[in-house]
Amino acid sequence: MDATLLSQYVLSGLVIGVIYSLMALGITFIYSIMKMINWSMGEFYMIGSYVQYAVIVNLVGPRRWYLAVPLAMAAVFVLGLVVQRFLLRPMFVGGVERRDEYATVITIALMVLFRNLAIVLGGPNQYAPPDYARPVTLGTLPISGNRFVALIGTLVLLGLFYLVIKKTWIGRALRGAAQNRVGIQTAGIDVLRLDMLAFGVGVSLAAAAGALLAPDFLVYPENGAISTFKGFEIIVIGGLGSILGSVVGGVLLGVIEALGSVFVSAAYKDLYGFLLLIALLVFRPTGLFGERERSV
Amino acid sequence: MTRARNALLAALLVVGLATPALAQKPVKIGVLTPLSPPGDAAAGQFIVRGAKMGAEDVNARGGVLGGRKIELVIEDDSGTPEKGSAGFRKLATQDQAVAVIGQFHSSVMTAVQVLAEQFKVPVFSTQASARQVTEKHLNFTFRTHVIDPDRCVMWTRWAKERGFKRVALITENTDYGVGLVDETKKAFASMYPGAELKTIIFDRAVVDLTPQLLEIKSWKPDALFNGGIGTPTYLIAKQAWDIGLTPAVPTLISYDAPARPEYWKNLGEKGNYASFIVYYHPTMRLTTRGEAFRKKYIAEFKEDPIYGALNGYAQVVLLADALNAAKSDNTDELVKALLAGKFEGWNGTISFTRGDGPYWQQWSPPMLVIQYTKPEMPFADAKIIYPSELKTGDWVATPK
Repeated sequence: MDATLLSQYVLSGLVIGVIYSLMALGITFIYSIMKMINWSMGEFYMIGSYVQYAVIVNLVGPRRWYLAVPLAMAAVFVLGLVVQRFLLRPMFVGGVERRDEYATVITIALMVLFRNLAIVLGGPNQYAPPDYARPVTLGTLPISGNRFVALIGTLVLLGLFYLVIKKTWIGRALRGAAQNRVGIQTAGIDVLRLDMLAFGVGVSLAAAAGALLAPDFLVYPENGAISTFKGFEIIVIGGLGSILGSVVGGVLLGVIEALGSVFVSAAYKDLYGFLLLIALLVFRPTGLFGERERSV
Repeated sequence: MTRARNALLAALLVVGLATPALAQKPVKIGVLTPLSPPGDAAAGQFIVRGAKMGAEDVNARGGVLGGRKIELVIEDDSGTPEKGSAGFRKLATQDQAVAVIGQFHSSVMTAVQVLAEQFKVPVFSTQASARQVTEKHLNFTFRTHVIDPDRCVMWTRWAKERGFKRVALITENTDYGVGLVDETKKAFASMYPGAELKTIIFDRAVVDLTPQLLEIKSWKPDALFNGGIGTPTYLIAKQAWDIGLTPAVPTLISYDAPARPEYWKNLGEKGNYASFIVYYHPTMRLTTRGEAFRKKYIAEFKEDPIYGALNGYAQVVLLADALNAAKSDNTDELVKALLAGKFEGWNGTISFTRGDGPYWQQWSPPMLVIQYTKPEMPFADAKIIYPSELKTGDWVATPK
C-alpha cells in the first residue's frame, strides 16, 4: 500500500466531506424546524452557483470573487423566504392534512421548475467562474485553490452557524422550535416567522456550497444533483435533524469513499458510501446522532 | 340536370382546392438531439443549427417531391434513453416524420434504433459512435459518423508513434465510455504489445473525480486519454490539472469538444497543450455544398462551423436528395433510395453499403488529431498533428 496515496485519498475525502456537510446541514436544519424534506435543495445550490458566476463576471470581477459568495447567499436567502412564504406556509396555516406529501409535491415541482428556468435563462451549457486561487498542497494532497477556499469558507460558515445557534436569542428560539413547535408558541414566539428564517438560512447554506464549488464543479442546470444526493446520504448517516451528525456524517462519508478508493477501486467511489448507509440502516436506523421520534 | 351539374362543380372545386393543399403538405424530418443536461447540450445546439440551415437550403431550391417544403421537428432527448425513446415515438407517430437525425449519445441511439425498426422510420446517427449502433445490422439505422473501433485504433497508433507505453483512459459509464474501454483494450493488445493500459470508468453524474485522477497519477502514465462527453470532459481536464497530473502528462481528448467556443471559457490555461480528435478542420477542402454552407454559417454566426453543424446540415440535404430519388415519402422507398444513391456531403460523396460488422449502412468522415499549444488559441490555428500524411505541425510537449 502506497502511504502517500492513502494519505492523499483520506485528505481528499475529508475535504470534500466537510464541503458536502454544508449541504447536509441545510437539509437537516430545515427538517429540524419545519419537519419537512426539501427535495429542491440541489436547485438552490445550482442557483447559488449561477448567481456567483453572474456576479463575478458582470459585477465584481474575478479578483473580488469573495464578495460574490455573500451576495449569492443573500439572493438565495431572499428567494427562500419568498418560496417559504407563498408555497410552504400553507402547510401550517392552510389546513393541509398531509403535510409530508404537500411538501414533497411542492419541492419536487420547484426542482423541475428551477432546472428548466436555468435552461431557459442561462442556456444548457456549462459556465466556469475564474479560479479563486492557484492550486495548493495540503499535506500530501495537491488540490485546487478553489477547493481549498471552499474548505476554509465551509469551516467559517459552520463556525458562524454554530455561534448563532448556540449563543444568540434567535438561535435559542430555533432550537426551541426544533424541539417542540407547539411549546415554543406558548412562549410568545412566532413559529411561522421562524420557519421562514430557517428555510431561508437552509437554502442559503446550499447556495454557499454552490458558489464556493462553482469553479471546480462548473455551473450548469443539473450541477446540484450530486451534492443533494450526498447531502441526503450524509443526513441518513449522521441522523436526520442532528446538526453535529451532518458534519460528522459528511467527514465519515468522505473518508469511507476515500478508503474504498484505496483498497478496492476509485472507479466505484460512490458505492462505498451506500454500503455504509445500508449498514447504518440495518444496525442503527436513526443514524449516528439521530434520535427516535417520540409522539404523544 | 342543374342539380347534377352543381354537384359536379362542387366536387371539382373541392378536388381543385384540396390538391394544391396536399401538394404543399410539408415533409417532416425529426431532429432528436441533446438540448439539455445531462446530455451534451452544446453538441445538440450545433446539430440543430446545421439541420436548420440544411432545411432552408433545400426549401430555397424549391423543396422536395415537386415543391413540398422540408419542415424540421426538433425534440430534446437530454442525452437519456428514456427521453430519447419518448421523443422518437412522438416524432414517428404524432409528427409523422419520414426520418430522424441528430443522434449524439450512443446510449440514446441504441434505444431509439429499436423504435426506428418498429415504426419503419430511418434514424441517423449524427455523432453517436458506439460500435453496436451499426453492428446490429438494422434496416432503418444509418450513420455518417466515425465508429469507436476506428477511433480507438487511431489513438492507439498515435500513442505508439509518440512512444507512450503507459496510457491511462478515464471515461464515463455510458455505451460510449464502456465501448471506448473495450475497443482500446483490443487495440492495445493487437497493435501495441508491451504497452500498458489502465482504464477507469466513472459514473456520469459524478463531479468529484479527484480520487480516480489521483489513482491515475500514482500509476505514473505517459499519457492520459480523456473519454468524457460534455461536462465530464471539462471536469476531467480541470481536476487533472489541479492535482498536477496534466499538463506534465500529455492528454488526448476523445472527441471534438475543444473545437467549441466554450472550451477556453470553461478551462482557461488548463485546456492548453491538450490534443483532441476532430473530424473537421477549417483547413480541409470541402465539397461545393460544404463550402457554401461554411460561408453561410460564418456569415450568420461569426464563427467557423463545428463538425456537428456540418453533419446535421449534410444529413438533411442528403435526405432531401434521397426523397427526390425515391419519388415518395414512403419510408421503405426512402431506405431503398438511401442504399442505392450517392449523395454529396460536406466533404465528400456519401454512400451507404451493407458491409461487415459495424460497417453496415455506415459512412465515416476523416479523423484527425489536433493540438492546442497556447491558451485561447483559435481552433483554426491549431495544427493537425496526426495522421502523419495530413499533419500540418508537430506535437508539442509541455515545457518542463
